[in-house]
Amino acid sequence: MDLFANLATGFAVALTPANLGFCLLGALIGTLVGVLPGIAPITTIAILLPFTFTLPPASSLIMLAGIFYGAQYGGSTTAILVNVPGESSAIVTCLDGHQMAKQGRAGPALAIAAIASFVAGTLATVVIATASVPMTWLALKFNAPEYFSLMVLGLTGAVVLAHGAPEKAVAMVLVGLLLGLVGIDVNSGAPRMTMDLAGLADGIGFVPIAIGMFGIAELAVTLGKPQDRSLLTVKFSNLWPTRADIRACVPSILRGTAIGSILGVLPGGGAALSSFAAYALEKKVSSTPERFGRGAIEGVAAPEAANNAGAQTSFIPLLTLGIPGNAIMALMVGALMIQGIQPGPQVMISQPQLFWGVIASMWLGNLMLVVLNLPLVGLWVSLLRVPYRIMFPAIVLFCCIGTYTVSNTVFDIWTMLLFGILGVFFYKVGAEPAPFVLGFVLGPLMEENFRRAMYLSRGNPWVFFDFIERPISAGLLLCAAALLVILVLPAVRSKREEVFQEE
Amino acid sequence: MFKLRAAFAGLSAVVAAALPFHAGVTAASAQTFTKQVTIIVPYGPGGTSDILARLMAPKLSEAIGQPVIVENKPSSSGNIGADFVAKAPGDGHTLLITDAGTLATQPNLVKKLSFDVQKDLMPVSMVMFSPYLFAVHPSVPAATLQELIAYDKANPGKLNVGTSGVGSVQHLTALVIGKKYGIKWGIVPYRGGAPAIRAVVSNESNVIFNGALATLPFVVQNQLKGIAVSGDKKLPTVANLPTFKELGMPVVEAGSWQGFLTSKGTPPAMVAKLNAELRKILAMPEIANKIKELGGDVRTGSPDEFAAWMTKAIAEWGAVVKAENIQIDG
Repeated sequence: MDLFANLATGFAVALTPANLGFCLLGALIGTLVGVLPGIAPITTIAILLPFTFTLPPASSLIMLAGIFYGAQYGGSTTAILVNVPGESSAIVTCLDGHQMAKQGRAGPALAIAAIASFVAGTLATVVIATASVPMTWLALKFNAPEYFSLMVLGLTGAVVLAHGAPEKAVAMVLVGLLLGLVGIDVNSGAPRMTMDLAGLADGIGFVPIAIGMFGIAELAVTLGKPQDRSLLTVKFSNLWPTRADIRACVPSILRGTAIGSILGVLPGGGAALSSFAAYALEKKVSSTPERFGRGAIEGVAAPEAANNAGAQTSFIPLLTLGIPGNAIMALMVGALMIQGIQPGPQVMISQPQLFWGVIASMWLGNLMLVVLNLPLVGLWVSLLRVPYRIMFPAIVLFCCIGTYTVSNTVFDIWTMLLFGILGVFFYKVGAEPAPFVLGFVLGPLMEENFRRAMYLSRGNPWVFFDFIERPISAGLLLCAAALLVILVLPAVRSKREEVFQEE
Repeated sequence: MFKLRAAFAGLSAVVAAALPFHAGVTAASAQTFTKQVTIIVPYGPGGTSDILARLMAPKLSEAIGQPVIVENKPSSSGNIGADFVAKAPGDGHTLLITDAGTLATQPNLVKKLSFDVQKDLMPVSMVMFSPYLFAVHPSVPAATLQELIAYDKANPGKLNVGTSGVGSVQHLTALVIGKKYGIKWGIVPYRGGAPAIRAVVSNESNVIFNGALATLPFVVQNQLKGIAVSGDKKLPTVANLPTFKELGMPVVEAGSWQGFLTSKGTPPAMVAKLNAELRKILAMPEIANKIKELGGDVRTGSPDEFAAWMTKAIAEWGAVVKAENIQIDG
């Protein structure tokens, strides 16, 4: 079967010593930032982006993906031991995990979190691999009109699924789109909005924007919040969960994985939403819901499985369609484009080593995390004692070095700082940076393909809607229209606000 | 292991970038290299200029007894990197390796260029020339130039040339050839050569003029149909394809080429020394073979010959730009 041949290709790539190294490195860095509450995986990925340019595309994506799912592990470690969720997706893990730790069962809690994550990671890898095969036939049918319609759908999705007011999300997409158009226009060669600055001729760099918005701005915002870092001294009497624990958790893990896998694929979904949903479901199906919040092991297993599965399946739209579902995936698109790979359905065909290599590495990375993390728990916790006044300046320095090395210009560092300030402003007014980044990344592609399609059809706009000649383009536009209708329906609107309130 | 080394190279570049190595320039006595030499690549890593620089840097370092590092300054079609070298001290310690884009078409297209390619840079030596492959998508029912001309007459508006960008050598080549034979093809710019090939292979556009190295595999696998090869030499793998010269086509020397330049004011003896060392390196079989793999032929010569080649290319493409009234500078 094709699937096994594909996975074999993937493992051949992922098992090379260098790629194993990058996978391990990514997973370790991910765990580290997962443990530290001040730094999000997106910050880390943004900062490390420039350092991946000299790597082959597969290695760079393997490492960046490792950071993403590694952070899910790290986040739960501190959630259980210290009641500090390192990541937003680990907030639910605090509820029962920390209770278990207080009852002296920190070991089993950590172990079940790791096992649940690993099982979910394994199953999600299979889900990605199977779901991707039918997508490949699409690849050859994608030309300029289809790309345009796909971008329209992507940006509509970014608005519909953004947190907070949709008006703000629309505004952010438009601002991103506008800034994305700075630079020499591909179709006419004319410089736009460059203000005669040579540094803007190729547009505003993606890396300075990403590091500014997600690195510098996040740090500034974190510093503005009070710190809670009381540490619990935990004794590890026994690490392994009992037979009864395992029996109780198996169905929870499976349910969590299913929820995570589905929600992960949806744009705007991903790890955080998945873990909330999985916890809610466990509480509902349990015969003893009163145990939840008092150290129920299912309350650790299900969300941990869900967030890891969600983190992984959020790669499906990225790897198969080139449409990033959330801000982290938008950074991955940036990483691909900088490597000269235009994201889209053709990646699977033209770069099978990249595509399947990344998928295979996810499974390997999950395995490494299980093997490495349990023994290293003590080390991770001690890292929490590093004060912000040492950690943050070091990170800012890294941001500057990383930005500078992209094209060796100081101009980019100023750009980064400017977007750092802008990022803080966006935070203060309650506007999310994710739709902005999606607009910035997808906007120029949308314009480029729109104009190309119009030129190739010699000015006939019907190419986008022609159901007979171009069913994919027309179908994608129809989906986008449906999303918009859903957004304005009052019932959906109030429900949507409710969902995001919970988070 | 190559990948790990690449990672280390990245790290050392960071370290090198952080050190103020341009500070405290010492006057170099003619012909001796007193400190590290920097080769500026005005494009990102992985392109032809970058590969050539990284291939030749270790050999140059051995020859001159100083470290040679490669630094990428990608931006603005190569103009930022070229500007950096144009403004560097004229001591022969800063080299530029770049291509026809920076050296022949950009000077004709960008009015407000911050440097003069011919006055502020000193040619050192040409490195390679790689011909264009002129090919069409297999669905186009034409196998020769004449059939293509006839097809366009019978089916106007069906042909579209995918190019690597507005004002690129590919774009100008398509304009000149279209004009000469009365072919009214559309010219569709893409972000670089690779996306252009992909677009033609998927039949979004259907005609291409692109470097032989990248295009040949598609012709061999029948995903593209070859029409002709630029220059005057046949390509061994597709020996059945006529050359531009045989067909009497215009812009015979359309193609991609690269060369080394240095900052103005560099003593002629220093330029001569660099030229001699680079020619020795390009004569090494391992380097020449690698360049062949890149789809090109080693092409060297004296600094004056390179200067003359550039002058001719600038004039030739300048005439096209003027005749077609192409302007990209606002």
